[in-house]
Amino acid sequence: MTQFEPKIVAFLCNWCSYVAADAAGVARLVQKPNVRVIRVFCSGMVDPGYVLKAFASGADAVLVAGCHPGDCHYISGNIKAMRRSFLLHKLLTDLGVEKERFRLEWIAASEGPRYATVVNEMTEQIRKLGPFRPASGSKPERSELTCRKEG
Amino acid sequence: MPKRRVAIYSATGCSACDNSILGLHYQVGAFTGWAEIVFWPYLRGDSWQVLEDDRQIDVCFFCGSIATEEDRHAALRLRAAARVLVACGACAAFGGLPGLVNLIPADPTEMSTSSQDTWPPLPRAKSRVSGLPGIVPVDYFVPGCPPTQPLLWACFQALVSGGESQIRASFSAARLPEAISTAVAAGVLPPHGSTFAGEKAVCASCCRAKEEKKFSRLYRGHELDPDAGRCLLEQGLICQGLATREGCGGLCTAVGVPCRGCFGKAEAVYDAGAKMVSAISSTFDAAEAGQASEMAARFVDLAGTFYRYTLAEQCALLAGASEERNDAIHGS
Repeated sequence: MTQFEPKIVAFLCNWCSYVAADAAGVARLVQKPNVRVIRVFCSGMVDPGYVLKAFASGADAVLVAGCHPGDCHYISGNIKAMRRSFLLHKLLTDLGVEKERFRLEWIAASEGPRYATVVNEMTEQIRKLGPFRPASGSKPERSELTCRKEG
Repeated sequence: MPKRRVAIYSATGCSACDNSILGLHYQVGAFTGWAEIVFWPYLRGDSWQVLEDDRQIDVCFFCGSIATEEDRHAALRLRAAARVLVACGACAAFGGLPGLVNLIPADPTEMSTSSQDTWPPLPRAKSRVSGLPGIVPVDYFVPGCPPTQPLLWACFQALVSGGESQIRASFSAARLPEAISTAVAAGVLPPHGSTFAGEKAVCASCCRAKEEKKFSRLYRGHELDPDAGRCLLEQGLICQGLATREGCGGLCTAVGVPCRGCFGKAEAVYDAGAKMVSAISSTFDAAEAGQASEMAARFVDLAGTFYRYTLAEQCALLAGASEERNDAIHGS
């Protein structure tokens, strides 16, 4: 049997994280080939709809990476991405998507090694989790339901 | 012209759709002028035997979601019998409230079944609830919970009167997409698959003023008496108007009740939940991760809120999970 190879869709911001990915390649850092990169102009433009669409189209995980807070080329686009990420995490959890499958990271242009680390780490994590199957009939842990029972 | 043969059926639901059809008031007289109602179990207690002669039904209005085996058989049978099948109401069109059970997937082997001594026998529940389009091809949709009379009336005129209506200049045509209102006026069938509702979002017809997009604190419905005339979302209520198809005329928002999304997602929206997450949290009044996280923590049951009526058919991740889809019966 062949090993499960996760498909990870990565939305990388044009000004920081995409450059970091480029730098990681130029520096010949070892990277897992499981990432499909989509270059976007800012992490702030990654609508939650894109993330859901990625999952609905067969991605096993989604990575959104942007500039560190304060460094955004558009002043506060990454802050918007940060604000959204919490509610999006909650929605995804409710729909049965494990927390590890969606990740928001700050990776500056000079942080090529960090990009490689994030990608490798994420790939291994998702490999352990297994493929994402929407509505597979698996019993997801629903954050809200368990919360309410406890409270 | 002979009268059109019309069937109206309710699967799993609350029968508010049937009552909404009865609520056509003065138009009911005009309606029976063109239509012969041959099958309406809710109103007349008709049995399935009525459908056993081989004459076709011209238009069937199917209400309710597909939650039991009986519902599925009814859908297949009515699809086979009817020339035009209309999904009437949020349950039939999108799965409706019963569709929320899909959030907790059931194991078919664990489902309760009737034993011989259970009386009345339990319906054979399906492990997943779906809307009508999850089972058979559907020709037209009338959304809403329940559908509003103007839209139902427009649908009747378009599909049943066949251009013979004396009152074609319908009071509802103005709010319908151009293609449908033109068809109603001309007495021809609207484009296949049309939805009898608007195209834009509820915000387009909501009477409230939208001022500053900033979400500073979440309020549950009972915690706040909203200011008159100001956008409910900006006041901290979860109003789904911006992700929801218009056509209702903003009835709920006009009286201070946030939109719950019973018309399904608007034409341009990919996924109602994602749209709502984006709309609410992009404007969180928080610059630090900690603050934003605290604000998000106040929200409960996002999936049940954002896909309240549409989980079974329109949620990007969970839709289309019906056990089977029988296209063959329609011969398409």
